[in-house]
Amino acid sequence: MDLDAIIRDCLDGSQDAWKTLVDAYARRIFSMAYQFCGSREEAEDRTQEVFLKLHGALPKYDFGKNFTAWFLTLAKNHLIDEYRRTKWEKTQRDDFDERVLAQAAGGGPEESLVAKEAQAVVWEGLNHLSADMRMVIILRDLQGKTYEELAEILRLPLGTVKSRVNRARVQLAKVLQERKGELA
Amino acid sequence: MTCQRIEELLSAYLEGELAAAERAAFEAHLAVCPGCAALANAMKDTMAAAASFPEVEPSPALFARLYAIPEEKRERRRPVRPIFEGLTRPALQPVYAALTAFIAVLTFVLFHPEGQGIRKKINVGLHRGIGTVEKLYADAGVIKGQVGALAGNVVKSFDALGLSRADEKKQ
Repeated sequence: MDLDAIIRDCLDGSQDAWKTLVDAYARRIFSMAYQFCGSREEAEDRTQEVFLKLHGALPKYDFGKNFTAWFLTLAKNHLIDEYRRTKWEKTQRDDFDERVLAQAAGGGPEESLVAKEAQAVVWEGLNHLSADMRMVIILRDLQGKTYEELAEILRLPLGTVKSRVNRARVQLAKVLQERKGELA
Repeated sequence: MTCQRIEELLSAYLEGELAAAERAAFEAHLAVCPGCAALANAMKDTMAAAASFPEVEPSPALFARLYAIPEEKRERRRPVRPIFEGLTRPALQPVYAALTAFIAVLTFVLFHPEGQGIRKKINVGLHRGIGTVEKLYADAGVIKGQVGALAGNVVKSFDALGLSRADEKKQ
């Protein structure tokens, strides 16, 4: 897929090119928004806002740059800004129900149950992290980005990114430990 | 190795990024520190859980909303643009400035405590002006009458002179 050509066509007003761009990125942005916000309805609204912003920002896109990283930076900034603007409203995430677990890890029933339990704790635990920490965990561990990609998206030095990811993981691991302690 | 250092190196350890000597020191600490070992296990579990996190599919309705963005933006711009462009013409700037000044003066006159005095002065001035104009009209009427009478006299005099000359010619 020649992204530059698609973007040029979008700038020329091609509806087909815009549709291709939406098809290529909607799932990624929606997943990121859902994991970040924790609510499906809110994630849909945020995803729409991100694409609206993308449409407005396309004329400013520098064709020499990595489009995916540029777009994910735009999405990340929007999600964090909106979270900070309205965080007093954010007290609860969607229940970690069958909807979230629709494609849960395979394995035997017992293994699957343990995995689901850990996933539920991670899902809840994300709410205990600050916006920046939550975002690095989502990008690195939930979306599987490399540290180099993270550095490009967050516009931070590699060392800073690695230590931020580690701190976020430690926080999340401690939440898991607390939850296990509560359950024991 | 301290527990704090272990915490700092946890990700690097779990991702296999530590050098052999550092890894050996790290594992030696874990062997004797149950707290760090438990934290390492918890981090390992959260990383595994996060890596296998299910991806949630956006609804078809969301896709439809996303596809429609360019068209919606065009629709939104269409009715607004001509009005907006018309109103922002540079040629209208003096009009806006005059309008603003007029509104400011009007507001002051109507609502400012001193505005009542100003309104009174305007009324007095206006009435004085009307009175002066009426007087001028009246004076103009008198002058007109006098000029008319004078003109009548002059004409009569000329007529009298003309007649007397004609009478002289006849004789």
